[in-house]
Amino acid sequence: MNITRRTFALLTLGLMGATALGGLPALAADRPAPFDKPESVKIALVRYLSTGDFFQAYLAGVQAQAKALGVDLRVFDSQQDAALQSDMVDQAIALGVQGIIIQHGLTESMKDAAQRAVDAGIKVVAFDVNVENAKIPQIEQSDKDLARLALEQAIKDNGEAWKAGYVYVAGIAPLDRRNETWVEFKKKYSGIDEVAQFGTLDNPIANSVANQARSVLSANPDIKVMFAPYDEFAKGVKIAVDEAGKNKDIKIYSADISTADISAMREKDSAWAATAATNPAVVGQVSVRALAMLLAGEDPGHSVVVPPTLITQKDLIEKDIKNMEELGEKLPQFAHADVAMPAWMPNPNAK
Amino acid sequence: MSPRELAVRYGFLVLFAALVIYFALAAPGFVSPQSAVFVFQSVAITGVLALGVTATLVVGGFDLSIGSVATSSMMAAAYAMVVLDQGVFVAVAACLAIGIIVGLINGFLIVYMRVPDLLATLGMMFLLVGLQRIPTEGRSIAAGMTMPDGSVAPGKFSEAFLTLGRHRFDFFTPNLVPVSVVVLIVLAVLIWFFLEYTRFGRMMYAVGSNERAAELAGAPVKAYKIWAYVISGIFASIGGILLAARLGRGDIASGNNLLLDAVAAALIGFAVLGASKPNAFGTAIGALFVGVLLQGLTMMNAPYYTQDFVKGAVLVVALVFTFALSAKAKR
Repeated sequence: MNITRRTFALLTLGLMGATALGGLPALAADRPAPFDKPESVKIALVRYLSTGDFFQAYLAGVQAQAKALGVDLRVFDSQQDAALQSDMVDQAIALGVQGIIIQHGLTESMKDAAQRAVDAGIKVVAFDVNVENAKIPQIEQSDKDLARLALEQAIKDNGEAWKAGYVYVAGIAPLDRRNETWVEFKKKYSGIDEVAQFGTLDNPIANSVANQARSVLSANPDIKVMFAPYDEFAKGVKIAVDEAGKNKDIKIYSADISTADISAMREKDSAWAATAATNPAVVGQVSVRALAMLLAGEDPGHSVVVPPTLITQKDLIEKDIKNMEELGEKLPQFAHADVAMPAWMPNPNAK
Repeated sequence: MSPRELAVRYGFLVLFAALVIYFALAAPGFVSPQSAVFVFQSVAITGVLALGVTATLVVGGFDLSIGSVATSSMMAAAYAMVVLDQGVFVAVAACLAIGIIVGLINGFLIVYMRVPDLLATLGMMFLLVGLQRIPTEGRSIAAGMTMPDGSVAPGKFSEAFLTLGRHRFDFFTPNLVPVSVVVLIVLAVLIWFFLEYTRFGRMMYAVGSNERAAELAGAPVKAYKIWAYVISGIFASIGGILLAARLGRGDIASGNNLLLDAVAAALIGFAVLGASKPNAFGTAIGALFVGVLLQGLTMMNAPYYTQDFVKGAVLVVALVFTFALSAKAKR
């Protein structure tokens, strides 16, 4: 998982700043119990993955929403130790928390732990880990929607018939889900001709993918569209396209976004046409909000999906967006998702 | 020359030629000046690292830290330009300084602290993977990034620095040969000449084949060994400069794949011309061999795991050439 998302910590810092400066949220007393006395509410975030920009940003989002609610947040970080993560759920139970967010982990190790928490009367939500429990809402970012948004833009820009290069590494869950959409699109639009498929996760990924893409471009000089549904892939393809001097002939469509991606997309005659992205800070906020709804006796639904945003080169240039903060400011749908947002819920992004 | 000697001496080069012919027939577009340059370009960075590690192999050592030296110097270059707003000169100097310092520390640990080479450089590898993340608190470096304190980084990659990764020299056709390929070839010729034809280089081989004998013959063994690690560090940091110039940003990366590919190239090099020992010419051929293989397989749409498989198979075959066949030939 930690390879598939990019730098959002930047944006999140901005968001946290905005929260701090944003004045007092609506009075706590107007909210349903137990949030009329938020200082008595204790929630825990039990993490499996934590290193990397994506997870930093996710944490910042969780913290921002917890702060907006005024609740006491405890963070347990198992650093990819599945057994420890399961123990940490028990620690959280012993600590007397009312709610737990499980962030990633393995179904096998977390299923029982999650059940123990539910049995102890604790409300639980899970992000990107299936704990196979009907009482536990799943927070998801929709990888299929990410791929769909990018591909719809590709169809819009290039018509329904083109030769495509596709970057994919099987066995990585989010890439597999994005791949399903690609397969559907190829079925739906018979004019899309995938002439090459490549991809690698060799570190540094952009450099290794660039080497592959160079070979692919010389073997298939008639490729019009490169679908690279992960921004490190897209960066590598862009390097290869530039080196081959084909930046005006090829368009790249991808997923995820970072400040570096924004500047690559804004370059003059950049081949990188569009990307679709979910903001991890928003996913963090939604996780806390879904948990808060459960605690207040409301139902966020079993599957809480955070919708992605399409970001095109045109948007970035016309709105003069140069980094992640400006992206949040100028594309508000990126900075805030209207998901799990009942009227009483304080919005950490409100200015 | 007996058939076995012939096989040992030229077998690997014949294999190489056969591979090129096979891809030329099987993959359309494989034979062209551009394609040849792609191969060189794709192995330029690992090739430079491999030439560096060859120097440590020559003195009977090993350097596991080259991959992380390369990524650390990439981060240093990015940090100098983007965060400190410095020019190309400071960025390059910072990278080379990292290579020299790490090489000196590695050499010191191995020679004076008597830490075995694998362990000392393993430690250095971990240390650098962590160190490169400290200045930016784990973030990758790109122009316009937000620093941990909330301010926006003032600088950007200087054009002169990016030229190192993107400029192409005219050669037969205009804009053909990238700088990184020229750097690879120049460094390969330099280190080859240095190891084969200078007194210093020959002494390094002497230290590698029998340290005690070299010492008794009055050679400053310790100095040679430290020099080998400094050479390795400098080459790795040059690799890092090329990497940063190509990517145009500082990417958090362990560089382990760079390390493994470089070591594979150097070990394949043992088999070239039946050398059975580390040598710069063999290393360069080894790197090209891997490059040709990956280029051809990618052009034929082979998935990435088959590429690792084939890379591994080539390495095993090369090692068999080196150890089994040539040992019998010598007897």
